[in-house]
Amino acid sequence: MRLKSIITVFLMSFSSIIFAQDDDLFKAYETPSELLVKTNAVIRYNDVVVEVDDYNRFTLRKKRIVTIFNKQGISDQGTVVSYNKNRIIKTLEARIYDENGNEIKKYKKGDFEDVSAVSGGTLYSDNRLKYLDYTPIDYPYTIELEVEVDYKSTAFFPGWRPIEGFYASTQHSEYRIINNSDTEIKLKASNFEDYNIEKHSEYHYSAKNLSSLKPEAYSPSFETFAPILKVAMVEFEMEGVRGINNNWEDFGQWMHDKLLSGTEALPSGIKTEIKELTKNASTDLEKARIVYNYMQDKTRYISVQVGIGGWKPMLAEDVERLGYADCKGLSNYTKALLNEVGVEAHYAVIYGGSSIMSVDKEFSATEGNHVVLYVPNEEKNIWLECTSQTNPFGFIASFTDDRDALLITPEGGKIMHTTTYKTEDNLQTTHADVQLLLDGSIKGNVTIQTKGYQYALHEGVQNDPLREQELYFKNYWDYINNLSVENIVFDNDKDAIVFTEKVKVSSSSFAKKSGKRLLFQPNLFNRITNIPTRYETRTLDFEIERGYTDEDEFVIKIDPALKIEAMPKPVEISNQFGVYKFSIEKRSENELVYKRTQVLNKGYFPKEDYDDFRSFMSAIVKHDKTKVVLTN
Amino acid sequence: MKHLLALFIFVAFALSSHAQDFKFGKVSKEELSQKQHALDSSAGAAVLFKDENIFFYYTDKSGFEQHREVHKRIKIYNKEGYDWATEKIFLYEAGAGSREKVSSLKGYTYNLKGEKITKEKLKKDGIFEEEVNDFIEIKTITMPNIQDGCVIELKYEIVSPFLGIDDIYFQYEIPMDRFDLRVATPEYYRYNRQINPKAFYYPKLVESTGSGTANYTNKKDYNDNNTASSSTVSSGSFSYKEQIIKAEEFNVPALKGEAFAGNMDNYRAKMSMELSAILNRYGAVEKSYSSSWEKVSKSIYDDSDFGNQLNRSNFFKDDVAAITASVSDDFQKAFLLQSYVKSKVKWNGLYGFRAQKGTRKAYMEGEGNVADINLLLIAMLRSQGVNANPVLVSTKNNGIPMFPTRKGFNYVICMVESEGGYALLDATEVYSMVNVLPERVLNWQGRVIKDDGTSGWVSLRPTEKAKETTMFNVKVNGDYSIEGKVRKSLTDHMALKYRKKFTGISDTEHIKQLEKDKGDIQVSELKFENNKDITQPVKLTYDYVLNDGVDEIGENLYFSPLFFLATKESPFKLEERKYPIDFIFPFEDKYVINIMLPENYQVESLPESQAFEFKNNDAKFTYFIKENGKFLQLTIIFEMNSSLINSTDYTLFKDFFEKIVEKQGEQIVLKKV
Repeated sequence: MRLKSIITVFLMSFSSIIFAQDDDLFKAYETPSELLVKTNAVIRYNDVVVEVDDYNRFTLRKKRIVTIFNKQGISDQGTVVSYNKNRIIKTLEARIYDENGNEIKKYKKGDFEDVSAVSGGTLYSDNRLKYLDYTPIDYPYTIELEVEVDYKSTAFFPGWRPIEGFYASTQHSEYRIINNSDTEIKLKASNFEDYNIEKHSEYHYSAKNLSSLKPEAYSPSFETFAPILKVAMVEFEMEGVRGINNNWEDFGQWMHDKLLSGTEALPSGIKTEIKELTKNASTDLEKARIVYNYMQDKTRYISVQVGIGGWKPMLAEDVERLGYADCKGLSNYTKALLNEVGVEAHYAVIYGGSSIMSVDKEFSATEGNHVVLYVPNEEKNIWLECTSQTNPFGFIASFTDDRDALLITPEGGKIMHTTTYKTEDNLQTTHADVQLLLDGSIKGNVTIQTKGYQYALHEGVQNDPLREQELYFKNYWDYINNLSVENIVFDNDKDAIVFTEKVKVSSSSFAKKSGKRLLFQPNLFNRITNIPTRYETRTLDFEIERGYTDEDEFVIKIDPALKIEAMPKPVEISNQFGVYKFSIEKRSENELVYKRTQVLNKGYFPKEDYDDFRSFMSAIVKHDKTKVVLTN
Repeated sequence: MKHLLALFIFVAFALSSHAQDFKFGKVSKEELSQKQHALDSSAGAAVLFKDENIFFYYTDKSGFEQHREVHKRIKIYNKEGYDWATEKIFLYEAGAGSREKVSSLKGYTYNLKGEKITKEKLKKDGIFEEEVNDFIEIKTITMPNIQDGCVIELKYEIVSPFLGIDDIYFQYEIPMDRFDLRVATPEYYRYNRQINPKAFYYPKLVESTGSGTANYTNKKDYNDNNTASSSTVSSGSFSYKEQIIKAEEFNVPALKGEAFAGNMDNYRAKMSMELSAILNRYGAVEKSYSSSWEKVSKSIYDDSDFGNQLNRSNFFKDDVAAITASVSDDFQKAFLLQSYVKSKVKWNGLYGFRAQKGTRKAYMEGEGNVADINLLLIAMLRSQGVNANPVLVSTKNNGIPMFPTRKGFNYVICMVESEGGYALLDATEVYSMVNVLPERVLNWQGRVIKDDGTSGWVSLRPTEKAKETTMFNVKVNGDYSIEGKVRKSLTDHMALKYRKKFTGISDTEHIKQLEKDKGDIQVSELKFENNKDITQPVKLTYDYVLNDGVDEIGENLYFSPLFFLATKESPFKLEERKYPIDFIFPFEDKYVINIMLPENYQVESLPESQAFEFKNNDAKFTYFIKENGKFLQLTIIFEMNSSLINSTDYTLFKDFFEKIVEKQGEQIVLKKV
């Protein structure tokens, strides 16, 4: 132990010598030119040392020099430091240098702004932030930062991202762990092989001259291709609660025993009530449905980040009394109710978000940002989103679908994949009966029916005030000038999970005039109008996270005074990205039937295929504008 | 003491007592069984009743303290209204124990279970305190057991050592059925009040006078050498006059957002109260803050963080003299010094008419707030013999200053007068020009203060039309793609906006923005000239290829002549609106189009040349088309001569705009020869 400390001191002082001598790092014009391509900021030097003293204590020391080239680069300064009662800022200092490396400003800890870290939707959190409020006088400038933070809670371990984000390149970044404790520390490096990263020892890495990455449309998340080092302590402490994390099994066991157990007790009144409510239900599924509906009616979601690092749920009895909680409290409460009526259910930690992100099944750590409930069932496994008062039972599309979650069971943690909504299940059918009049105006009735993921995209409109609903349809069909919307009717079948929108529409100038002709676009109500962004050279692979199917049928009655002069031929395209086809059938002299099918497949595609994908989408955009020529 | 306070509150409550139903706790079955709001069925929640009682109470320790009692009863109809079960109370601190506090906080949630009313008490675990920064604390309250149809009731009192009274809201984003207000201020403090003139709902205020009583205790200590220390206590009371404002409002409609209306808070029915003077016990003014625009201006001018800043010049004297040495024209000097200030001192994003650092420090450090920068510019101009004066401004977010108050202003710019003309300048915005001010400043009128302290109004609304001119060349290819060149020139506010958005952005990103939502297009050879030289119009040129620019149907070709430059949809989608449309500045958007016809095709039909206008030329659209051998030539002009459209003219303007979109979409038909 003693020897280790001496080495530490030596290493530390050695590193600051290098740091102090390299004056070029403070001069913006000395930035290697290859790092300036597509960059807002260059991390000139970033040295992170985490010194672990015990399973429940470590210190983070960071020295950092960043050159900022424009306004967008300010966020790369890295001058926001969060803290709370278990994360104490010891040192915080910054210096600003002009383009030539002359110091122009100096900030001490007290000069940083101090604010609470409560974000928009959150009611309470005890986290706070210190940040630097500096107005750049000129670009480029260079900022030097020194930070030291003492951690008394070790469940979240600072990892390493040699490329910190889009449009930021890295000249030199280094990461080291000094372990003075008896606790094992585990690491997982992802995507290191593609970048100039050197491994000096198991706990020591450095990276040199990494060019910036730029975001591209449809690209998978940053984490999937950028180099990232994840770190976790095998023995750790979360705000005074000691835990073990060799793997997901014992991490889950710890959560179960230390954070969840003892939180589920319910007052006797509710126990009787819920048993009474479910007494006629014959299956577990039926019981679960009744309990879920009961919970939805009774509670609301409120984000309150308290209780062991924001990881311990509110007591079920408190949720019962208050009628609100965050995702943890509501899931735990629902679980307690389900257990009360003899239905098995498990608390599940997950990443919530429309973009799909999994808990890493190969590396156990304090992960996730959301909690749902898992109900094992013979027919089909059920996942319950307990923060929604309106979701149909077992419906999770768009927020927690198709990803790995960590189940917390009495036997420990387990990784489980959530429900995947298939291309053919994410179905939208649009039917319309329309009349086209001599003056180019239209009027008619439209019915849109959505299922699966598309249900999630549509059903929200029913809760808006009428004025917003009208605007919703006007924006949905924004290519129709002069649109009026009336008689809006919704039907939300929560059992079948089908959402139906019925609406009466009209437009006084739909068909475009041209002399004696009228140009009429038969795809009235389901057009794709945007083509994916064009790239000179695509650098990243791309991904369609969820597939879908659209089917359309529009019956168009044409004023008898109008004659059909020309009509497009049917089109059919089919490839790895999906299917597109449409046809126009002339049922009689003045009745047309337009039919369209569009399927987009879920998939992960190499960057070389992007141009084909773009051509496919362009073709759809083009054909969706197809025109019929009428004369009178 | 406590006893007295209780008595006083009791008296105050008794005086302002209302119908029985609104007593705290008397929530009725009728209220609980309401399924939707009687007048606004779209409301997710409604304020059934609000009572606000503001008064001052005398204590020996701190003199007059401000008390604000709030009692609210809110009905929640459905999930959309659940946010109204959370209340945030902002409390101010000024350091050294000088802070606002909340007391007597209580709340209940009422639900109807069958025929029975149940109630749930707000407890400590529903109250959260957050120190936002050194000056603001937020107390967040969230009510327990919220279910569709419930009614919540909340009562609290804010005790404040400050004389400033927070704005009083007469309107929320949900309807309010009844609002009782009483504000009583002692004769020693004179307040000006202002009701938001932009709101479409206007409350009725009733004023009267009353009287208040203050109790005091005087304690005098004697401590001479002969006797042990002793003290005498005398106590008594004095009475004083009170200015009382009351309001009883019924059925206040909800405040609803609209596009192009700007910050909706500008349209909320609310009342501001500003301390205008402190009087002594004989009724004489001891300290005056404001009472007329003349006085407000004077009081600001006399502020050391304002007026004094204008005449300090030692620190920049040598630097500045060299810059204007060879120039005699005052406006030219103004331009040069504005550029100089812009290059020397960067804006830190903070508003204010008072210097934050002082002009000297801002100059040295290269950073400052609005006043630091613009007062510095004025001082520099004055040092060079230019007639330059500050203009106080209320920014768009701050609303329109209708009433003489200091807080009616929050910004200052510079005015230069010479030979009967004048120019307005703001050096906080890199790309702003002489007379082309940043949008935030363009709010009706400002108050110019002359060197001798006199003041007057000056209009801020731009009168010069900003111009965007586009030369558009089109060649139709054999594969029905089109290609050609776009040349754009932008002046004044159009140029300012474009520079703000695109200067400093890479060509690749710029091209991506140009290609966005324009179909299957490729833009190349981009040139962005005068992106930094603000004396010249912005010039933009690029080449393009658009696949499928032209439709071939049957034997004919069809296209609309603006192709990807056409306005595809009207942003005015609401059927009616209550607030004006603000285009901020007048402008002209002009297209000169030259289309080369493809081989073997001739014109079958063309749209008609046409012009239409809105309301006496307030807006005008001109469409002129002519065939000229192998070419089609068009001139299309959209002019907004007035930048503000009143809500009463909305339907007319909506129709006008839709006609423009329709006209732009009209098709040219070509026939194979």
